Amino acid sequence: MTMRINPDLPKELKKYGKGEWNECFHCGTCTALCPLTENNNLFPRRSIRLLQMGLNDSLTVNVDPWLCYYCGDCSKSCPRDANPGELMMSLRRYLTSIYDWTGLSKRFYTTHFWEFGMILFLALFVISLFVFVLPPLDPTLNAAGGVRINQFAPVDLIEIGDWIMAIIVASLLISNILHMYYMVILKDKSIKIPLWLYFKEFWLLIFHFVTQLRFSKCDTEGKKYWLSHWLLMSGYTVMFTVIVVFLPWFQTEEVHPLYHPQRLLGYYATFGLLFGLIVVMIGRIRKSGEKFKFSHFSDWFFIIMLILTTVSGIMVHIFRINGMPYATYYTYIAHLAILVPMIMIEVPFSKWSHLAYRPFAIYFANLKKAAAA
Amino acid sequence: MGFKKVSAVIFTDKGNGSAPPYDLPALIEYARQLDGIKVVWKINELPEFNTQHMAEKIKENGLNYLILAGELPGFNKTFFDHAMRAAGQNPGAIGLACFREYGIISREDSDRAKAVLYCAAKGIRFDQVAIPNETAVHPDTLVIGAGIAGIQAALEIANGGQKVYLLEKSGTIGGHMAMFDKTFPTLDCAACILTPKMVEVGQHPLIQLLTYSELKQVNGHPGQYKVTILKKARRVNISTCIGCGSCAEKCPATAPSEFDALTALRKAIYIPFPQAVPNKYLIDEKSCIYVDRGKCGVCVKVCPVPDCINLDEKDEQIEITVGNIIVATGFKIFDARRAEQFGYGKFPNVITSLELERLVNAAGPTGGGIHFRTKDKRDNWIFSPENDQPKSIALIHCIGSRDKNYNEYCSKVCCMYSLKLAHLIREKLPGAEISEYFIDMRAFGKGYEEFYERIKEEGINMIRGRTAKVEQVNGQLLLRSEDILHDRLLEQKVDMVVLAVGLEPREDADNLSKILGITCSEEGWFLESNLVSDPVTTYKGGISIAGVCQGPKDIPDTVAQASAAASHVLQSIINGKVRESIKDLSLQYIVTKADHFVSTEEGQP
Repeated sequence: MTMRINPDLPKELKKYGKGEWNECFHCGTCTALCPLTENNNLFPRRSIRLLQMGLNDSLTVNVDPWLCYYCGDCSKSCPRDANPGELMMSLRRYLTSIYDWTGLSKRFYTTHFWEFGMILFLALFVISLFVFVLPPLDPTLNAAGGVRINQFAPVDLIEIGDWIMAIIVASLLISNILHMYYMVILKDKSIKIPLWLYFKEFWLLIFHFVTQLRFSKCDTEGKKYWLSHWLLMSGYTVMFTVIVVFLPWFQTEEVHPLYHPQRLLGYYATFGLLFGLIVVMIGRIRKSGEKFKFSHFSDWFFIIMLILTTVSGIMVHIFRINGMPYATYYTYIAHLAILVPMIMIEVPFSKWSHLAYRPFAIYFANLKKAAAA
Repeated sequence: MGFKKVSAVIFTDKGNGSAPPYDLPALIEYARQLDGIKVVWKINELPEFNTQHMAEKIKENGLNYLILAGELPGFNKTFFDHAMRAAGQNPGAIGLACFREYGIISREDSDRAKAVLYCAAKGIRFDQVAIPNETAVHPDTLVIGAGIAGIQAALEIANGGQKVYLLEKSGTIGGHMAMFDKTFPTLDCAACILTPKMVEVGQHPLIQLLTYSELKQVNGHPGQYKVTILKKARRVNISTCIGCGSCAEKCPATAPSEFDALTALRKAIYIPFPQAVPNKYLIDEKSCIYVDRGKCGVCVKVCPVPDCINLDEKDEQIEITVGNIIVATGFKIFDARRAEQFGYGKFPNVITSLELERLVNAAGPTGGGIHFRTKDKRDNWIFSPENDQPKSIALIHCIGSRDKNYNEYCSKVCCMYSLKLAHLIREKLPGAEISEYFIDMRAFGKGYEEFYERIKEEGINMIRGRTAKVEQVNGQLLLRSEDILHDRLLEQKVDMVVLAVGLEPREDADNLSKILGITCSEEGWFLESNLVSDPVTTYKGGISIAGVCQGPKDIPDTVAQASAAASHVLQSIINGKVRESIKDLSLQYIVTKADHFVSTEEGQP
């Protein structure tokens, strides 16, 4: 088998994160220390080797970066300060851009221009929809003293928009996952996976998606961050499902009592989002620990967009139940103008996609392991 | 002459990470006001590795000469060569102001840095004009440190017919080499090489031994150094002590023996080891009960020689005059406690290589057997020949070396001594399982690679991949590492772990460098005049360095360097002159000389 070497690979990867990866002299300390690595998936040293040698193909077949949750023990003990942990993070960004067949992800990760341009474009698009398509503002309140939100933004119209967005995002993400499947499983000729294994291992995919249990296996940092990471993930998933799939049930004019599941779910998701985000934000500002030492601009973009979405969502809710029509309407527009670009960019092209790639990577790794056994 | 030099000074040290050691802003200021200098750049202001852009910059400023200044500016010369050629200029018209070559390592050396820059701007070599004065030399020599380097240097000079003072901090000469069992790669017994030399030193009429003494002060100038030495109170009269040992037999106080790398106990009145030179007793004031509480004196009572032991003896100072000084103070081993992950100091059977060296030595605490470390009745951790023996031993390389968390440099000797120790373990415990965990195997010398091949054939597991951590599980030690050549994780349980600790400068090296007026490198090793072509002399005239105090090296290299240092000394004694240091030359002096040099050169056809 011929191997193609890309000598520019280390240079290329520098765009996806910081690290002195050429410093590595392969003592194996990082891999030996990692609580997650296993004999068939040795990381992070093996990935550094592939990078140093410029082996593109071997790097893209390799799902190891997704198996790492970045506790940072490897970077801390590295005798060369080569930042192996940050390499795994940068490789996740790199792989995201490789899995994405449209090439947009690469642009978003490596140029500010594309990222900000796209946000602005989508935000203006949302605002213009409200300006040109929707009826004028109605300041009257409903019987319960709530804002008549469904007069301003008819829930059936918004739901149609929701579904359009969901279909675009989902088809992009699913096609990217299929692309990943092609690169990781189909291109790897060394292994044949029988069909029944796909079903046998499938529950693990669901299990890891729901629990994120591997994260808590990380020695020190993992135990500290598992909860906040899980709250953030579950809060986001709940909120996403509710606003996309169950919008008519969620966006009501009627002000439900506090114990109503609509409000309980909404509050839970908001709490999860805020808690997780604040922990991450404090960590990144203080650069506490290896995990938060280096922040790529896509990390900050993700935090800022999500926190703006959450805060504007909370404000819509407060204004609506307190009967403040104009404030509600304007924040509602702002909320959507932030939310739409965030979902369109983050879910298929950027950081949020790890929500899908990580469980799939574990699934694929398990498939390969089971097939080899 | 129609040609007029238009030059640019380019400072080549990027200064990312750490600032350059010299005073960069002051040098930039100085360069700006020099004759014929049009521009001054820092290299990070220039287009990186783009010859065309650089060539445009050269043309833009009408430059026909470039001066590269920095720690090692020659690294960048090729790039500027190409740029000059692309700009249509003479590619050779590049002057180098290499600061490291002339020992400019701190802000105090600013004047010399300016002088180097001045010479480069004039297009002449610094050493063509910076020639130090020569002064008359005193024929006596002081050698500081009596390890193998100091012993070798002292013998060379004394055998050349000149007087040598040999200064040693501890109670005996011999240093680290006396502690070793065998030397690599020949597996000669270290004592068999060293002790004859030690005896020769002890009996040589031209060598005056100053053991248990320290350097206090050095005054004067090259050729005439007035040295003050503190003779610590030995409390035993060295000329009357007969070495009978009855004092040590009765002495009630014990302390860990430094010579045995703290693996065994000695008395407060002791001879460091049986072959010590001088083979006389001394009292360790830290453990002596009399010194501590003012009563005991058992040793005085049992001593058969009247007035031999004087427990109230005080330290005294002596003053000597010497012409040359050789510094051969050696090293200390890396404190393995600092690398917590390997569990030294936490698990009793994680030991250092020096401790193992004493264990396998027939004169060591266990009589040459490898035994576990246990606590004795008084809670001291010792190795006793009555303890069990390990069935499996792992050696881990690079402890404290090649690691940015501790020392970045390679200690040079650890790979080879670990191989040697593996061989010695195999000899002592033929059935034991022995593994070596290494990063790179550095078998670099004459006969070394062959030695490595030989050890591999002795059935020792060689594993590429340094261990990440050592844990204790059910009394055994668990090593976790990556076996890089076989692409797998490795967990091995062994009975004993030996840490191949690296070499570090001594704690007092910094202080000593201040007393002597020589400089230390960033790591703390003494700085030589030129790493490649003059690794023996220093920037201070009349002071040479030898052995590990200049940088990690093995015994053959140490002996060679000691002889080289001795030859420098003998050379100056034979000439009757010693060169002063270039440190003493003023900027004005060099500028005047350089101007004179240029004007006479240009006057010639």
